[in-house]
Amino acid sequence: MARDRSDESYARPVRRLLLAVLVLCLIALVLVWRIDNPRVERMRAAIVDRVVPNMEWAMAPVVGVTRMLDDFQSYTRLYEQNERLREELQQMRAWREAALQLEQENARLLDLNRVQLNPELTFVTGIVLADSGSPFRRSVLINVGARDGMLDGWATMDGLGVVGRISGVGDRTARVLLVTDANSRIPVTVQPSGQQALLMGDNSTAPVLEFLEDPEDISAGDRIVTSGDGGLFPPGLLMGQVVFTTDGRMRARLAADLNRLSFLRVMRSHPGTTLDDPGGLIGPPWPLMQMDGDSPQAETLPDQPVDDAAALEAGQ
Amino acid sequence: MSAAMSRLWTYRLLFIVLCLIVISIKLLPLNVGESGIPGPDILLALTLAWLLRQPAVVPIGTIVFIFLLADFLFQRPPGLWTLLVIITSESLRTRHQTMTEFPFLLEWSAFAGAVFAMLILNRMVLWVLMVDQTSLGLTLTHGIVTVMVYPLVVVVSKFLFGLRKLSPTEPEAI
Repeated sequence: MARDRSDESYARPVRRLLLAVLVLCLIALVLVWRIDNPRVERMRAAIVDRVVPNMEWAMAPVVGVTRMLDDFQSYTRLYEQNERLREELQQMRAWREAALQLEQENARLLDLNRVQLNPELTFVTGIVLADSGSPFRRSVLINVGARDGMLDGWATMDGLGVVGRISGVGDRTARVLLVTDANSRIPVTVQPSGQQALLMGDNSTAPVLEFLEDPEDISAGDRIVTSGDGGLFPPGLLMGQVVFTTDGRMRARLAADLNRLSFLRVMRSHPGTTLDDPGGLIGPPWPLMQMDGDSPQAETLPDQPVDDAAALEAGQ
Repeated sequence: MSAAMSRLWTYRLLFIVLCLIVISIKLLPLNVGESGIPGPDILLALTLAWLLRQPAVVPIGTIVFIFLLADFLFQRPPGLWTLLVIITSESLRTRHQTMTEFPFLLEWSAFAGAVFAMLILNRMVLWVLMVDQTSLGLTLTHGIVTVMVYPLVVVVSKFLFGLRKLSPTEPEAI
């Protein structure tokens, strides 16, 4: 017993010191995260990249079984489901016919106009590995990363509607920030009135439609597509439909089925060429050279013809 | 002595394995689109419940490892929640001698107090650092759900894993 006491007499201050150092380190980590966010987030992406694919072997069976149970429950309603599907199929046939006709007409008109549209969007398909694990974050992790050419900001779809955008790329994984996350803001157009708005996630299943010019023009069921403003997303990707909620706000019922995400398409967007110089027709590039008249070399610097003229003069 | 040591290490390993299982279950992409009640913080309940029963099973290094990993994986500000958990667990560890005599209701209310203090401190630090936060209602719901799940965690650790409370006369071993 006496030995224990003497043990404690030096063990306790050491422990306290250790604790203090640990606490300081953690505070430093939080501050570094706040100050140099991109670096720490890259570190986070690296950790996720290392850990999550290793968990996959354990997670895949559980996910599979749960999904099977879900599907099994739907067997009990097989008959109604079958009836409904048949009905929907009938409607879809009609729509398909209409779509084919429209496509042909569209192709003819485009041909007549010689319109140059955007380059075809290509996509990479990934599988959802994990979700964010936190009740306050809406994001999923997919199994394609920098190795597959992922870039931050690319749009992600589930085949029908926009799901979110890439935010955080590891080597083998990438994080998709869902449109329902509280940090998600996406510029959209509401069809058919053509108004611009922002689709703002708020951690609920239906993001809010904000900054509309003329809310009276919008009616429930209007289609919401991405507008392509800000160069973030390619324009014209389907987001969902307008719904009015009881609190009088306009929200979007998403076309993507966020409850059953398994395969995601990452749209490779090709940013258009940007114009960042004024062109050489009007005059020398702005701002002009600082030294005026002091040294003759300064004036002859900008381009080749002047140089030649100076050489000619020197020769004469 | 060696039997007691091996039991201690078994429980330590068991704790880490349980935490890793909880983390991977939370990461499962099952309820992506669902919203509503945020899930409980089972990691916290598990850690504090085991700490109040057998402090030696939950050394500080394990807590740092598990919670830092969770911070990084769950997209939280790295280190902040770990810091709060460390402070809480260490203060509970020093008070554990008196707390072993508590009846369960008192222990539960102590846990509830700790959880809400941590959540509020967390919000205050994030507010000072000017980080975007979720609504206060969601945070409070999260706290309440975590408090509600605590008895369940205690029952499971007691009857499934045979983790009993140290009596005040016992030394710190299983």
